[in-house]
Amino acid sequence: MRKPCNWRAPFVARTDLNASGNYLKKGFSLSALTQAVMLSGMMALGAASAHAADVAEESVQPAIKSDLAAHTLLVDAAVAGDRLVAVGSRGHIVYSDDQGKTWTQANVPVRQLLTAVYFADDKNGWAVGHDSLILHTSDAGANWEMQYRDPELDQPIDPEGPSLLERPLMDVWFKNANTGFAIGAYGTFLRTDDGGKTWEDRSYDIDNPDGFHYNAITAVKGAGLMLAGEMGTLYRSPDFGDTWETLTDLPYDGSWFGASGTSSDNVVLVWGLRGNLFRSTDFGDTWEQVELLTPNNGPLEATLLGGGLSGDGKLVVVGAGGVVLSSTDGGNSFDVMTRPDRIALASAKALGDGELLLVGQHGVATMPASALKAH
Amino acid sequence: MSFDQSNAPFMERLVFNNRLAVVIIFSLVSLFLGYQALQVRPDTSFAKMIPLEHPYIVNMLEHQNDLANLGNSIRIAVAIEDGDIFSTEYMETLKQINDEVFFLPGVDRSNLRSLWTPNVRWTEVTEYGFDGGPVTNHPSYTNEEDLEELRANVLKSGEIGRLVANNFKSSIIEVPLQEFYPNPDNQSELLRLDYKQFSHLLEEKIRDRFQSENPNIKIHIVGFAKKVGDLIDGLIGVVGFFGIAFVITFVLLYMFTWCIRSTVSVLVTTVIAVIWQLGLINLVGFGLDPYSMLVPFLIFAIGISHGVQKINGIALQSGGADNALVAARLTFRQLFLPGMIAILADAVGFITLLVIKIDVIHELAIGASIGVAVIVFTNLIMLPVTISYLGISKKAVERSKRDAVREHPFWRFLSNVAHPNVAPWMVIVALVAGTTCFVYQKNNIKVGDLDAGAPELRPDSRYNKDNDFIIQNYTTSSDILVVMVATPPEKCSAYETMEAIDQLQWKMQNLEGVQSAVSLVTVAKQVIMGSNEGNLKWQGLSRNQDVLNNAISRAPSGMFNAACSLAPVMVFLDDHKADTLKRATAAVEEFAAEYNTDDMEFKLAAGNAGIEAATNEIISSSELLILVLVYIWVGVMCMITFRSLPATICIVLPLILTSVLGNALMAFLGIGMKVATLPVIALGVGIGVDYGIYIYSRLESFLRQGMPLQEAYYETLRSTGKAVLFTGLCLAIGVATWIFSAIKFQADMGLMLTFMFLVNMIGAMLLLPALARFLINPEKVRKSSGSKLSH
Repeated sequence: MRKPCNWRAPFVARTDLNASGNYLKKGFSLSALTQAVMLSGMMALGAASAHAADVAEESVQPAIKSDLAAHTLLVDAAVAGDRLVAVGSRGHIVYSDDQGKTWTQANVPVRQLLTAVYFADDKNGWAVGHDSLILHTSDAGANWEMQYRDPELDQPIDPEGPSLLERPLMDVWFKNANTGFAIGAYGTFLRTDDGGKTWEDRSYDIDNPDGFHYNAITAVKGAGLMLAGEMGTLYRSPDFGDTWETLTDLPYDGSWFGASGTSSDNVVLVWGLRGNLFRSTDFGDTWEQVELLTPNNGPLEATLLGGGLSGDGKLVVVGAGGVVLSSTDGGNSFDVMTRPDRIALASAKALGDGELLLVGQHGVATMPASALKAH
Repeated sequence: MSFDQSNAPFMERLVFNNRLAVVIIFSLVSLFLGYQALQVRPDTSFAKMIPLEHPYIVNMLEHQNDLANLGNSIRIAVAIEDGDIFSTEYMETLKQINDEVFFLPGVDRSNLRSLWTPNVRWTEVTEYGFDGGPVTNHPSYTNEEDLEELRANVLKSGEIGRLVANNFKSSIIEVPLQEFYPNPDNQSELLRLDYKQFSHLLEEKIRDRFQSENPNIKIHIVGFAKKVGDLIDGLIGVVGFFGIAFVITFVLLYMFTWCIRSTVSVLVTTVIAVIWQLGLINLVGFGLDPYSMLVPFLIFAIGISHGVQKINGIALQSGGADNALVAARLTFRQLFLPGMIAILADAVGFITLLVIKIDVIHELAIGASIGVAVIVFTNLIMLPVTISYLGISKKAVERSKRDAVREHPFWRFLSNVAHPNVAPWMVIVALVAGTTCFVYQKNNIKVGDLDAGAPELRPDSRYNKDNDFIIQNYTTSSDILVVMVATPPEKCSAYETMEAIDQLQWKMQNLEGVQSAVSLVTVAKQVIMGSNEGNLKWQGLSRNQDVLNNAISRAPSGMFNAACSLAPVMVFLDDHKADTLKRATAAVEEFAAEYNTDDMEFKLAAGNAGIEAATNEIISSSELLILVLVYIWVGVMCMITFRSLPATICIVLPLILTSVLGNALMAFLGIGMKVATLPVIALGVGIGVDYGIYIYSRLESFLRQGMPLQEAYYETLRSTGKAVLFTGLCLAIGVATWIFSAIKFQADMGLMLTFMFLVNMIGAMLLLPALARFLINPEKVRKSSGSKLSH
């Protein structure tokens, strides 16, 4: 069973730390800051609303079928054989069998925001999201079943106790159709060895005393797994998930939102706030910043969110403000463009025919990779 | 005086034996009511124009204070023709306009928003948290570097499509208004915002001034205050139409009578009727709104038509009478009763309008009823008395004498409609026209306002052009349906509430005709994402109450009330067509039925679309009722008058045909069934029945003399045809000037009434006798005891 409380210190202790003053200087977590603001906000609004009512009785409702599903917030995409699958808000999962031209909405038993999707083979895939949801498909994404949900949601609510913590899962990765890992907020780390029938909370496998969020997990060719999180935290696992090592020589102290291996051994990229993108050729021992220059306005300052490696070795990374980066040299250098609509992008996949699949605030979009050069 | 009074009715003796007293009393009353009439003021109270008893409006008024921030603001779009907003020229002009607007009376200065106000900020999520600042941070923009910085700030501000046009060629100054504002000379005193004055200030100090200073600058202004200002201006413009109607009527009247004395008498007494009516509505506490503005025109037209009957009668009587007094008395005796009945029909036609539960229509109904009642005194009593003093010119009397014996080829020709070979064709044509039009209108008529923009004003009015400009260049709709989500205090941010609102928004967004839906949930999701470093994976509601409370604390005012017990959901619609509104409200009602609990209630409706949806429902439910009531009443009137079912059918069928044709015309012209066109049914039928009553009563009297139908009809036309034609023209002219009103619904009313009055007249003259050919047996009429109107 997972531990009932998270690793993160309780709010009050957080506020004390904040009040002491030097906390801010040493390095900080924005989410911690947020909670400090949150407390003052709560006081302003009055304490009465601080109690969440009984969510336990609320049943899980299936996603509503909508023509707009492919055109509202989608945050991740994956490839299952010839099929493209994207996940996002309101339990929307959409798939396309014609390389992104038309999209069909899958049958999904939940309505929460889904954050990531991963396929272990052509048929078996997993999607994760808010409420620590884990969904599974065995038909390449057309139909989904719920495998896991934050068990605390089913506990009776103590009206006097602290308000429920929202613990979204942020990413998922599977070694094969049986063994996989789901990671998320406040240091949540779940593992399965039976294709998701049972999930075990293995958060204590990783040294994360402050309960920082984990945002991305990726395989690094010939090396192992890399886990990237809030406040510049990085972990690696040479045995693909059994044991985890904390990286100490960190190149940056802002949050990482994405990570990706490349087609070369031991090479890994991590990226995050304000155009920070770092590359390591030795599985994280040393890092080097990749310079990202916008065509006209100097260094890129937009936050980079998602993206990754495609079959042909091409790398695509996207982010806030419609930024699209692509690299054909394993991440040594990137072409940078800003899409004219400036709509926030969450993830991308390079498709076989030179097209790019983009997902983000306004759902799916495709663009020819050649457009990147033009800018 | 050789006149025999022995068989004179009481009313006649009362009036004509005390002529001088009558004149003095009328003069005194006219002076008093004239003074009252001068006090009448234009009055466009918002509350009067909406159906206050409809549940939507009841809900809206219940939460009015919590919704206060939603409505009353104007938006001034300052556009540059050549170049874009990132130029010294533009920014300097915008600053001047911004400063000028700041000092206008009634402006809520602390909440004014434009590129030059410090409350318009850019924000950015960085590793240091939220970073931000005012969009304009230089006192002026004179060099390229500063302008480039401005461009970057604007892009980061999230105001594109809201405060800054999508094409960067204009930006908006958002001007919230205070309905009551402190007097600058005496801070403790509150002044009420004068919409008309405010609207004029906008024109003079903003639009005219800056457009003339720099021809490269164009200014577009929209908002409730501007619309009301334009409406009041339009209302005043309508007064000018009264003058036009007056002049046209004068000319026609003179051509009809060839007597300047009677022409002036009729005009003066009718104008007195209008003055009385205005004085009386002021006494009962009504003002003149865009609807009740119609009443003086109607009263004028009805008054003239009754006056014409009187003059016609007196002229005919003068041939055989010794003097003007006797002619006037005889005419009074002859026409007082039919006149009363016709006026009664009008009045009750107006009274049926009371079933429409909208105050302006109530005031229209009551004002018009008062007005026709006044005509009894002015045109049925005072006019004959006046003529009894003045007399009618010899020329006019000679003319009417000649007319009475002369053969009239036109009337002879027209009387053929009662011929056995022609009558069936008339009926068939009427049937075909009626059926075709009925089917056409059934399939094509729409409820509600159909044009884009402000439906009160013409589609090509300046206001609506400004509105088009903003719709095209900004990402906002002007048709907003507001759903009010009511919870116990402090519960508006509860997860259950927010989650349900989110579901509602999604349901609405998926509905055809809905552009988007916005509420505190929209803001909360963005703030939660922002608090998590802008990561899209956090763009969802949190189950953590503290997170939600913090999130909504950043929401702009108006997204929830101070007690956190009410949160409006704003649904932006494509348009305000009845179908769109119906679909949207039905979806919300379905949702409410599923989600409402003791702690959370989804209530319709506020916003302009909510009000229109309520109005449409009232119209749909009232339309049939009004038709039924008005036709029952007209039928009863005819039955009482003629004691004959066939006669009633002869009179009512042409009216029904006119109603059907009128609806078809509305469908054809794209005029929706709305508050303004609904009264037209009652007015059109109520007044239209006059012709039928008048014609049939004459026809019956000739039939009783033993004439065959066609001959009797010829005689009817010869004696009254001219008066009937003239009456139709008078009524039509009285309302036709409205077609040129700047206010769209007044124009629609004018057009429809003109059509109804003319077609009713034609129907009475052509269809009534044709129907009589089939329904009336002259033998039976001759033997019958005679109706009330036989003379």
